[in-house]
Amino acid sequence: MSAASELIVILENVHKEYRTGAGPLKVLQAVNLEIEAGEFVSLIGPSGSGKSTLLNLVAGLDKPTVGDVIVGGEIISDMDEAEVACWRSAHVGFIFQFYHLLPVLTAYENVELPLLLFDMTAARRRQQVLTALDLVGLCHRMSHRPGQLSGGEQQRVGIARALVTDPTLVVADEPTGDLDGHTSEEILDLLQAVHCDLGKTILLVTHDPRAAVRAQRLMRMDKGRLMEGRDTTLQEAFPTWPGATRG
Amino acid sequence: MVKFLSLLAKNLGRNKVRTTLTALAVLVLVAIYTLASTVTDTVGEAITELSSQSRLMVREKWIMPSRFPVRYLPKILAVKGVEDWTPWHFYFGTLDEAGHNIAGIATRMDNLCEMHSGMDDLDPALLSAMDREKNGVLMGRVIMDQMNWQVGQRFSVISSSHVGKNLEFQVVGVLGSNLWARNFFFREDYYQEGLGDKENVNVLWLRVSDEQTGKRVSADVERLFQNSREKLRVETESAGVGRFIGRADTLVNIINFVVGILLLDMVVVVSNSIGMTVRERRQEMAILKILGFQPSFIVAMVVGEAIVVGAAGGLCGAGLSCLVSALNAAGHLPTRIDFLMQFPIEVKFVLHGLLVGGAIGFLGSVLPARSAFKVRVAEAFSNVG
Repeated sequence: MSAASELIVILENVHKEYRTGAGPLKVLQAVNLEIEAGEFVSLIGPSGSGKSTLLNLVAGLDKPTVGDVIVGGEIISDMDEAEVACWRSAHVGFIFQFYHLLPVLTAYENVELPLLLFDMTAARRRQQVLTALDLVGLCHRMSHRPGQLSGGEQQRVGIARALVTDPTLVVADEPTGDLDGHTSEEILDLLQAVHCDLGKTILLVTHDPRAAVRAQRLMRMDKGRLMEGRDTTLQEAFPTWPGATRG
Repeated sequence: MVKFLSLLAKNLGRNKVRTTLTALAVLVLVAIYTLASTVTDTVGEAITELSSQSRLMVREKWIMPSRFPVRYLPKILAVKGVEDWTPWHFYFGTLDEAGHNIAGIATRMDNLCEMHSGMDDLDPALLSAMDREKNGVLMGRVIMDQMNWQVGQRFSVISSSHVGKNLEFQVVGVLGSNLWARNFFFREDYYQEGLGDKENVNVLWLRVSDEQTGKRVSADVERLFQNSREKLRVETESAGVGRFIGRADTLVNIINFVVGILLLDMVVVVSNSIGMTVRERRQEMAILKILGFQPSFIVAMVVGEAIVVGAAGGLCGAGLSCLVSALNAAGHLPTRIDFLMQFPIEVKFVLHGLLVGGAIGFLGSVLPARSAFKVRVAEAFSNVG
């Protein structure tokens, strides 16, 4: 677990533009962000506001047009594709909306997949996979393929896969977007446990207010700009949601 | 590596029907390729074996099949540089009502090995047996296999070259060379007595010491008969074979062209099949990239899958061809396939099939692999903005 005061993510004056036929499209404008180690941060905002772009930059999946992205003390925006892929495999765990498990692999093999990139013994790999599966309560389903698991179970496998490398940062892209209310709550409980018990830093992108309020800090993207302030952002983002004013 | 292969195998099992059909398509093509290669290889071997420049073939210049008077021989043999000679008398026909064709050659037995290619390892005991049996023959192995005969077999030929004059023969030995696989050799005296033809010869073979002497002898012999009724043409054995090959070349070229087109077609089929797989798995590939797998790994996975499918299909196709050929030769098939008898498929083609299949897979995977290389990680994320 990292010290609470340590900054894990730093974005300095980050701009991102895409070239389109109609000219440059500004997706992010002058974004500054700091996330401390062990923080649980939610990012909300309407479609097209730049949430996913910001997530991609933080996770080393894209590069800013201007500005620096520093994660875990390393300027990942300066790394080339091979370097950043290598860095990503060791420092970032990903949780997706549609789980994205490989259908031909069992739950165990899906969780094991990121570890294949590391030089470690089969026994050590097995130990880490079983620990991750135990954490999400799915050891008894490890030989099942994704098609034999419910949506909630698949997302648990996805979370185990994200944690198996003991990453510095966990990024979750709409992790409850494909789940019913009850299962969503279970997954959010699990994410909160990952944050509280393991001290993991989590960046969550969501449309779901129930998911957003689980975070310690709430940020809102709008037209490529980042805004912060728990109550105002909740009210602006989810004006009809009763919990918006409860903070 | 083991994990990589395991993942590759699991990916291949993802759509078993498509994988099987692709492999089957490669199998059929490689089986065709194997047959075509056997034909071209056999012809190539014949060129190599018959490349002697020191054996000259004397034939009538215009008539086909060649035929000229025996009385020419003394003059020809007297030409300076001729070291040895042997005549050929053709005797064509069928072996039975099923129409198995055969070409017999009546010639001298005392210098059979010296005057013919592919006879170097002929057992001297067979020549002794030919001395004893006036109607004895040395039979090509394909005919022996085709007719399921053993040494000692008696047979008669329903002659098409000498209609009404059907000769009786007895097999005293088998010729191992591919060159004479569908021919038989018998004694000149039996031919002359049996057919009553002592006045003509179809072809005369001369042996000379070297290529230079051969050129001079050829020119001398042709000059000797340039004003005779039957004019002669003399050429080296290799030139004669070259002329034959020249005619066969067109057919071989057509075969090669068709096989080439089929190979190209197969590359397109494999490319389409692998391309479909890549299109279906773009999101998975994006996930692998997100997890930290390098683009080269994704490319290796796509190329590896294609090579495995191609190589497996190729191995099975060539293996099947060899098996059918072997079963055919052993008489274990309900119907004998004459074509395979003429061009028996060797085991070495199994390796060729593996390589050709693998190459088809590799080439077929180039475009899909390029597409896989370009998969963007963003393809894995939801479209939440």
